[in-house]
Amino acid sequence: MLSRIAESLFWLARYIERAEDTARILDVNYHMLLEQSQQSYRLRWEPLIVMAGEEKLFHKLYEEVNAETVFEFLAFNEENPSSIVQCISKARENARTIRDRISREMWEDINGLYYAVTRFHPREEIAAGPHRFCDKIKFGAHRFHGVTDATMPHDEGWEFLRVGWSLERAEMTARLVDVQYHNLLDALPSVDAPDNHQWMAVLRSVGAYEAYHREYHSAIEPEKVAEMLILHHRHPRSIRFSASEVQSGLRAVSATLPGEYANEAERLTGKVVERLRYDRVNDIFMQGLHTYLDDLLRMFGAIGEDIARNYFYYAVVA
Amino acid sequence: MAPDQFEERRKLADLSFLIQGITFTVYSDGRGTERLFPFDLIPRILPHSEWEKIERGLSQRVVALNLFLQDVYGKQQILKDRKIPRWLVCSCPNFRREVIGVEVARGIYTHISGIDLVRDSKSGDFFVLEDNVRTPSGISYVLENRLVMTRTLPDAFQACEVLPVHHYPAELSRVLRSLSPRGPGDAEIVLLTPGIHNSAYFEHSFLAQQMGVELVEGRDLIVDGGVVYTKTIRGLKRVDVIYRRVDDEFLDPLTFRPDSILGVPGLMGAYRAGNVALANAVGNGVADDKAIYAYVPEFIRYYLGEDPILKTVETYLCANPTDLGYVLDHLPQLVVKAVGESGGYGMLMGPAADRAKILEFAERLRANPRNYIAQPVVGLSRVPSYDSATGTVAGRHVDLRPYCLYDGEKVTIVPGGLTRVALQPNSLVVNSSQGGGSKDTWVLRGED
Repeated sequence: MLSRIAESLFWLARYIERAEDTARILDVNYHMLLEQSQQSYRLRWEPLIVMAGEEKLFHKLYEEVNAETVFEFLAFNEENPSSIVQCISKARENARTIRDRISREMWEDINGLYYAVTRFHPREEIAAGPHRFCDKIKFGAHRFHGVTDATMPHDEGWEFLRVGWSLERAEMTARLVDVQYHNLLDALPSVDAPDNHQWMAVLRSVGAYEAYHREYHSAIEPEKVAEMLILHHRHPRSIRFSASEVQSGLRAVSATLPGEYANEAERLTGKVVERLRYDRVNDIFMQGLHTYLDDLLRMFGAIGEDIARNYFYYAVVA
Repeated sequence: MAPDQFEERRKLADLSFLIQGITFTVYSDGRGTERLFPFDLIPRILPHSEWEKIERGLSQRVVALNLFLQDVYGKQQILKDRKIPRWLVCSCPNFRREVIGVEVARGIYTHISGIDLVRDSKSGDFFVLEDNVRTPSGISYVLENRLVMTRTLPDAFQACEVLPVHHYPAELSRVLRSLSPRGPGDAEIVLLTPGIHNSAYFEHSFLAQQMGVELVEGRDLIVDGGVVYTKTIRGLKRVDVIYRRVDDEFLDPLTFRPDSILGVPGLMGAYRAGNVALANAVGNGVADDKAIYAYVPEFIRYYLGEDPILKTVETYLCANPTDLGYVLDHLPQLVVKAVGESGGYGMLMGPAADRAKILEFAERLRANPRNYIAQPVVGLSRVPSYDSATGTVAGRHVDLRPYCLYDGEKVTIVPGGLTRVALQPNSLVVNSSQGGGSKDTWVLRGED
């Protein structure tokens, strides 16, 4: 497979995943806030911008942090490279450059989603609230996953897609937990009085609310939420599950045996996966959640870079 | 079929093109916007007997053009025999000295040709309007139009017996494979595209997918030791045949334009060494030059000893002082074309032009006569077409571009070709960049 194609598949998947995750977080946050007091407004929206890593840009573009500006920024803004519309449009650009390598159904699906997204009118959607728009993105991404699994040969190209969206998902979940947790700790008198609504929202935004109740049969507790999102071995949006997916994808490409690694990306992934397998949530809190997640995020960054070094870039041979 | 039912199916067809991303890029608005190529649901019908004659005429022409290219980049016998002036050939903007003496695989230059035909509305005869033997595009529309037609109007196909077109990618693949320096069994074929921003990008990816070959950009290729390789996730992989949709000037910055980022440094070295085959060959532009066009009937007589089957349009070479005088006196009745251009650029339609435009062209002709030819206006034939503005059927001007594949022994032509239609009433311009559309072309099976 051409290096350029592997790279496009990897990024196609990452952009789709980023769009979906952003849509989920926006949607849940908005609806949770309908039941909140006005004072906590700014407080509730700020973390979303921190999560996107675009605080500077946001404050350059907008004066106020509120539902409308954040929604506009994260969903539609053309200057925000991670806005949903930008992600879908970049995903489609990537798909377009490799449309001969993906199935016709995949191309038509992402192309259809692109036209659907660009047909939304930001002003109308902002007035109507984010639900309709976010739902479209969420289901669009799900459909794309389904179409991909059902129509594309599960060959190495498919593995690069898997690696792309799993790595993106692992990062997004890590950021979500990190930002929300610290925001809540800062805002509230003590961890003993957790804001259940906020944690419910976190669970809902990764689609883990019902699963949480099945798993723990208890009220929402921050540590358990963190455990679920970081360490759960079956929930498809947990960091551990996503990291395992990255590992499986990388191994399938290099045909490495379990317990061995063919490159730095595989070594680091293996390290992360083992750590997430044997760490308990108490260990994490002892180290400090933020330090722990920050460390994971740094490793994910390094994994992404090494994948690029190994598979995408060609050193010019003199 | 009731009019509203027809309108409904037409909209369905449009939607199908949009979702499939069958678009082309227009540059005039400065942003490179993707547009749908307007599609007319009413097919253009060609009876079998008429098609047979076209097919014979095109085969003859393609073979003669190929022999001309072999000759002009080889022994140059036709120049020595003075059947065409040497200065006229050597002054072609697309004549490439760099490939004189290069032995191309199996002696084939014109693997893929798109030859534009028009039907004269007075005599009813088909005329060759121009040859395209560099990187002709449009075949993907032929195939996709047919697919959309069979989906949208299946009943019509059952009523008429229409010859199929879908074997084109397989035929093209066979021709390309036969060029491989390592033999057809081991042939690693790639399709070289200028990239996503090229107006024909859809077609490039479509053909690559249909043939099951890798679609590459210049940056995916590397030349090492006179051999071309692709850069893959598992290292370098040798390439044998490149179906290139990049123009000559951009192929290799070491040989042609040094500022080209679309090409591959060293590619021409590998080509000269016979380590890689290019289709079409480099330098073909000398054969589809619009001044050379006037000599193609002569090529057919000279190389094949046959009379041309298809007619050509009378052509005045402005490089010829007597012709230039005539052209300058009759500009309002003539069509003037720049010799090295294609796609309707650099043209004057005398009867439709205002005085200022005519004076401007007269000036250009005097300044650079070699760059222009002139022809009388051919009255393009019209066929029934659907006018979506009024919801009625009316006659619209059309041309026809059949696609010819040549493997050195036989010319294979998919029945029909691309029918382009000027969707505006009375317009003679069928180019997609200027509001033209297309139709499916139906060659009927058997007796008329």
